Amino acid sequence: MKTIKRATTLWILIAGLSAAPLLCEESHPAASSSAAAIEVQMIRPGEINLPTEFQVALYENLVQELQKKGVFSQVYRDGDRNAAGAVDLVTLHTAVTGFKKGSELERDVTTVGGSTSITIHCKFTDKNGNVLLERDITGKVRLIGDNLKATDDFAKKAATVAQETLSPDSSSSDAKKSGYKNVI
Amino acid sequence: MKLERARLLPLLLLLGTIVSPGQTQPAPAETEAVQVIGLAGLKQNTKGSLKVENGSLSFVYSKGNCDFPAASMQDVVTGRDSQRVIGGTVGTISRLAPYGGGTALSLLRTKLDIITIQYRDPNGGLHGAIFTMPVGNAELIKEALLAQGAHTSIPSQAKSTTDSPLEREAMERMN
Repeated sequence: MKTIKRATTLWILIAGLSAAPLLCEESHPAASSSAAAIEVQMIRPGEINLPTEFQVALYENLVQELQKKGVFSQVYRDGDRNAAGAVDLVTLHTAVTGFKKGSELERDVTTVGGSTSITIHCKFTDKNGNVLLERDITGKVRLIGDNLKATDDFAKKAATVAQETLSPDSSSSDAKKSGYKNVI
Repeated sequence: MKLERARLLPLLLLLGTIVSPGQTQPAPAETEAVQVIGLAGLKQNTKGSLKVENGSLSFVYSKGNCDFPAASMQDVVTGRDSQRVIGGTVGTISRLAPYGGGTALSLLRTKLDIITIQYRDPNGGLHGAIFTMPVGNAELIKEALLAQGAHTSIPSQAKSTTDSPLEREAMERMN
């Protein structure tokens, strides 16, 4: 009799433990839920002497990465008239605060020097102009790749920050992995 | 002394007639190019050919083509860069070559021209596209685009000169 009781308890425990993760998953919303629309403004070089190809590559990579992440249901480009009618529109303003054009050749030869880095001040605002998030993000290429690869690095980081902070599911595992912390 | 000049003059005139037609011909405005980024639906570093005709720029690649009206281009800028002769995956693997072979290979580089275009779509959305191409072609494309209604923030550097360098030198020597 005791053996049957123990076996039943054991089965109940096993069943309970195996069902626990499923219950936990249900308690969190899906990670792919889209927040709102975003309008990406063109990168403003400010007083930094940023080559035009970097400016355009930053902008295009940023638009592509935001579309890829799927945080926002709609990604509008700078000046898109359709953005005016969007509900919960977030606008991303960017200004270059630092730029170091390295050298691919130097990177190849020395493996320690010649890195390219771009630091950009990103400001996410709502439709009324209230700041939702402000962050300095740096894109780098240290070893392999041409100088424009730094723009890709920046775009990936910026899109991750947007996902972590502005997505309804900002405490997703992706956010924890990236190491960024929400400021606002 | 006069005899020397007399000999030199026909020679220079002959050279001038050979060189001049090449400079007075209209720019071909067509070149092989690589789309670095910017065209929707195209992978980065897609190879193709860039052509300016009928008031628009068209990029023709293996699976189709993209056209943009020159009038919608609000900025066309050219630049210079260089790239590894051996690129892509092979280039990355070649870095591991022993006895400094990878480093030596990375010294082999080709110069290239960059053309960066910013244009507006019918909704007013701003797009950017970057193309690389062999040296000397970006200015020709830019000139052709400007002639067909595109705008630029940096005026063209390639000022057309009426005389060839040889002709100018000959004129200086004659005087």
